[in-house]
Amino acid sequence: MLGMVKSLAETLRTMARKPVTIQYPTVHREIPVRERGYPLLLWDSEVGEPFCVGCHACERACPTECISVIMKDNPLAAEGKSKRRKIVDQFLLDYGRCIRCRICVETCNFSAIAMNNTWDGQEMSRYDRGELVMDLEQLLAKSRAGGFTPWVAP
Amino acid sequence: MSALETFFDNVWVDALWRLLAVLGLMVIVVLALTYVERKFIGRIQMRLGPMRTGPYGIMQPIADMVKILLKEDLRPASADRIAFELAPFLAFVPVFLTLLALPFTAKWDVRVLDLGLLYFIAVSGLTVLGYIFAGWASDSKYGLIGALRTAAQLISYEVPLVLAVLALSMLAGSLNLLDIVEKQGRVPFIVWQPLGFFLFMAAAVSDLSRRPFDVAAAESEVVGGPWIEFSGIRWSILYALTEYTNMFALCVLGSLIFLGGWDWPLGLKWGWWWQLALIFTKTSVLILVVMWVNATFPRVRVDQLMSLCWKLLLPLAFVQIFLNGLILVYGWPDWTFLLTSGLGLAAAGYIIYSVIPIGAPSRIVVRGNA
Repeated sequence: MLGMVKSLAETLRTMARKPVTIQYPTVHREIPVRERGYPLLLWDSEVGEPFCVGCHACERACPTECISVIMKDNPLAAEGKSKRRKIVDQFLLDYGRCIRCRICVETCNFSAIAMNNTWDGQEMSRYDRGELVMDLEQLLAKSRAGGFTPWVAP
Repeated sequence: MSALETFFDNVWVDALWRLLAVLGLMVIVVLALTYVERKFIGRIQMRLGPMRTGPYGIMQPIADMVKILLKEDLRPASADRIAFELAPFLAFVPVFLTLLALPFTAKWDVRVLDLGLLYFIAVSGLTVLGYIFAGWASDSKYGLIGALRTAAQLISYEVPLVLAVLALSMLAGSLNLLDIVEKQGRVPFIVWQPLGFFLFMAAAVSDLSRRPFDVAAAESEVVGGPWIEFSGIRWSILYALTEYTNMFALCVLGSLIFLGGWDWPLGLKWGWWWQLALIFTKTSVLILVVMWVNATFPRVRVDQLMSLCWKLLLPLAFVQIFLNGLILVYGWPDWTFLLTSGLGLAAAGYIIYSVIPIGAPSRIVVRGNA
């Protein structure tokens, strides 16, 4: 009987507590800075071009082969505005194949690619798989708009 | 006498509008209670409960109703067709009949019967017939086992329930619900009969197939029992409408006979809205207690339920009747009711504490290998 009274009191105490529910689509849980969202390319705002030089390091390292890169001569370097002699021409990243393993970020020599640690890198449902293949513009857009701080391994 | 009054004076018209009023009350009660239960249990489990439909999910019962009405009405090919289609009504009609005999305030009632208490207990027991029909007709082993469990449960708890109510009516000297409420005066019967109240609530929880006594519907054992094969509107009549109205009716009865109904503590001079508020509050408290118990305890086994009902509740009910008779015959003062009944309740508590391991897992003794 004592146990019964105790358990009744316990449920009543639990009722007085704040519910743990987060009403997901309207309220977003805060996600940690180390969250591995889908990878993004970073924008060098000082020069006005991507950090990526199109060196194919990530393309070769990617275990699911979801990255394709094409390199070109940098027109800004010819004008003397940039130190990068080569620059990325096209960059295709298939979010449908990406397993978010972070190997591309690890292998990048220029810290030009980072995992998206915001909610934009989470909600990726599309009606067509083709829409998940991101091109250079889409990959750069978030960093270019500013306010995106990637987590850098210490 | 105006034309309208003459119209309502007609026996048939009078009966019809009263029945319709009770039906409307039932629908409102069911809609409200489904919402309240989901919210209440949600909070107990640190959830929010329904939140999306309307502000604070207030439209959830409406959404549920629409969903249930639009659902396909399935019937197994091997089901006994007549019994299957009759079963929901057989379960629902007795609950409807119990509401007809309940007074809600001193003036608001459909019909107050002289043997109202007896009528209520007798008719509410008939609901189980509907469940047995349902379990038998659905031609499913789970349904049948659930139905037989319902029947076994009924004969176990109905006896202590009747005896507890009988002990109470000894005090009131009447089976008329109006008389019982008037008789309580300044002191509700729960004070004189705590053991009787405990027996009544235990039997009520059992009647409603709520945890810890939901062996008939046990999801993890018989997957819903008698209503396993039912869907859509039939399921809602058999389960939601019947269960929630039954809960409401039993809690109204409990607040009438144990908590002083509309009379305590304000008396009759305050007008009908105060009486209605009082009965509403008391009924709500009892309903919340039933839901609270439901959310707290794990299910007992069938044999544990049987032994609890036959070995504990039944003897205690007899003890209560015997003590009441003794006190009434010798004319001892009123406080002896409280003393004896309270001692009986303490004894019940001790026996449950020492014999049945409900809610006290630490007391389960693990014996070594025999």
